[in-house]
Amino acid sequence: MYRYDEFDERFVRERVAQFRHQVERRLDGSLSDDEFKPLRLKNGLYLQLHAYMLRVAIPYGTLNARQLRQLAHIATRFDKGYAHFTTRQNLQYNWPKLKDVPEILDLLADVEMHCIQTSGNCIRNVTSDQFAGVAKDEVEDPRPTGELIRQWSSLHPEFAWLPRKFKIAVTGAEHDRAAIKVHDIGLRVLRHAETGEVGYEVIVGGGLGRTPMIGKVIRDFLPKGELLAYLEAVMRVYNAEGRRDNKYKARVKILVHETGPEEFIRRVEAEYAQLNGPTINAPEDEVERIAAYFAPPPYEALPEDSAILDAARRADPALDRFVEQNGFAHKQPGYVALTVSLKPIGGVPGDMSDAQMLAFADIAERWSFDELRVTHSQNLVLPHVRQDDVPAVFAALQAAGLATANAGLVTDIIACPGLDYCALATARSIPIAQGIARTFADEARQREIGPLPIKISGCINACGHHHVGAIGILGLEKAGVENYQITVGGDATENAALGERLGPGIDAEDVPGAIEAIVDVYLKERQSGEVFIETVRRAGLEPFKAGFQAFIASDEGARTLAAEPAQ
Amino acid sequence: MADVKAAAKAKGPKLPVILIANDLLDGDVVFFGAQGWTRDPRAAKVAFDAETAAFMEAEGRAGFVANIVVDPYLVPVEIDAAGFPVASHYREAMRQKGPSIHPDMGKQADYPLGA
Ligand code: HEM
Ligand code: SF4
Repeated sequence: MYRYDEFDERFVRERVAQFRHQVERRLDGSLSDDEFKPLRLKNGLYLQLHAYMLRVAIPYGTLNARQLRQLAHIATRFDKGYAHFTTRQNLQYNWPKLKDVPEILDLLADVEMHCIQTSGNCIRNVTSDQFAGVAKDEVEDPRPTGELIRQWSSLHPEFAWLPRKFKIAVTGAEHDRAAIKVHDIGLRVLRHAETGEVGYEVIVGGGLGRTPMIGKVIRDFLPKGELLAYLEAVMRVYNAEGRRDNKYKARVKILVHETGPEEFIRRVEAEYAQLNGPTINAPEDEVERIAAYFAPPPYEALPEDSAILDAARRADPALDRFVEQNGFAHKQPGYVALTVSLKPIGGVPGDMSDAQMLAFADIAERWSFDELRVTHSQNLVLPHVRQDDVPAVFAALQAAGLATANAGLVTDIIACPGLDYCALATARSIPIAQGIARTFADEARQREIGPLPIKISGCINACGHHHVGAIGILGLEKAGVENYQITVGGDATENAALGERLGPGIDAEDVPGAIEAIVDVYLKERQSGEVFIETVRRAGLEPFKAGFQAFIASDEGARTLAAEPAQ
Repeated sequence: MADVKAAAKAKGPKLPVILIANDLLDGDVVFFGAQGWTRDPRAAKVAFDAETAAFMEAEGRAGFVANIVVDPYLVPVEIDAAGFPVASHYREAMRQKGPSIHPDMGKQADYPLGA
């Protein structure tokens, strides 16, 4: 794992000292609210419906046990004993007090963590594949690239006040688990088809929010050593030309859309030709120094399969089911990566108690080389578990209430905080997720349905990624009541697609029934081996629209229609 | 929220109203009451006429300038059978209670109605 050097340490400590001083000046009145707000946002501190909210950066979603213990300690001491993992692989505290925040930031700095650039119009925390360094389909671990970008973008003087927030995601694998096509910049590490050289495919202008867009490839192959200079060229074009006149048109996706990809590429390349690349790009020894921190852990040489695990799986159906659903093939023989679901039936997606964090830190330390990951679907991962150890790990996870075998299934729902916490929300999202999960709680039924990502946002900002959910749910307000729009066909992977609406919005209590109706269409239409999204792609939207409309026309739906004029 | 605020400015919110804000230091929701700012939603002062509403709004601005509260605004309410001023909009009602998914947290836990 990356360790702070002296420079990183000093920089983070100085920033905490500055913020402590800013809070003091806010409290004694020498800073007005208008002056203080951008300062607190730059340090990840929001004001929400019931309290402040502090967002902690987890660079490329990697943590160690010591860090997780510290996060637990902060949750106990300064919050209400829990915290929330987000779709940007970050962690949010829901109840901190302003006066305690400097102390919290110091505690984070003690374990090489911070909240810098988790908010505001700057380059945000870089996200990545949760199976980085683990997946068999990987060209290269994406995290050294993430770390390089973190160092380059942290306090970059030119890019501290961009037209709008800016999010970068990196994957090193063929299958995109980092949703790179819906980020401002998406990077995919690849090998050049002819030369075999390692470089990047560069995608710009993806995004969700009120104007969702799939990113455009602006470079098929960027040699690895040229990354930072090229990113700098993209950022300069955006910084100069992105629209500052209208916050809703200020993201780079709008610039790419309005200028057109060809013209955007031309401008980036013109800027790039003028830049002095060598002064911007990281020297090779620095790139190697960073990469060395992400070297594989000292694996044992083991056979591909574990007789111990095989026997244990035969003896314990729950263990067998857990490994089948939450296990992910590891490139190292004899090891497996395990997804640890933060979606127990009826729970709050992404929430974890302090006690669970402590238990999980022990598990990661003992059985996964002291490493854990956060996924963009609000789950955790134990990246390197010896297959022989899986029965013991499973038992420990069960004891901590962390052994839900639903990774990727219909109950593994992404949900933003919504109106239960968020000041921008138009409707609740968490209770909707809970209602759906309860409806599909039966394990055999979930398994029969197979992979089905449902994603829920509580307003058009789309923090819950609803546009790219195979089923997406968007909470709005209609005539003073919460109202939910359902989309189908979204996809966050390399086949990125935006979902399409099935019909009019519906009431909260009708959502689980509507999802059942949609799932029934899938079960009826699917051909052998097809997962939900494949059936949608093949059969088209019509059967799903018909099933949905039939549901709202039926008895349970009658209430909805009464409140909703036909459209 | 922007809509609620804009509406308040354009024609004044529909009476009766209470005044809601966040405490600067702690961040939690506070209400303007007979004795000044209070954390207890049951102690919120209700304005039934435009004059009282204007007075409360001015108190909100004063609290903001004095760095006691942030983001003060008037919230339309309806008085329920028990005499409690329930916010007419579900968003503001949520602020009077706390997260619907955690009945053990927020105002609903600290200041239970009917207690
Ligand atoms: C604390 C409350 C939050 C606020 C005020 C907030 C605000 C916003 C806003 C305004 C946007 C739209 C940006 C745009 O369209 O230009 C947005 C997008 C987004 N937010 Fe949040 N958000 C919050 C919480 C979260 C949480 C909890 C997550 C993760 C679960 C998250 C992840 C995202 C993502 C992934 C997007 C869409 C991608 C994009 O276009 O930027 N946000 N957020
Ligand atoms: S989607 Fe809307 S409601 Fe949900 S967290 Fe984002 S801003 Fe809040």
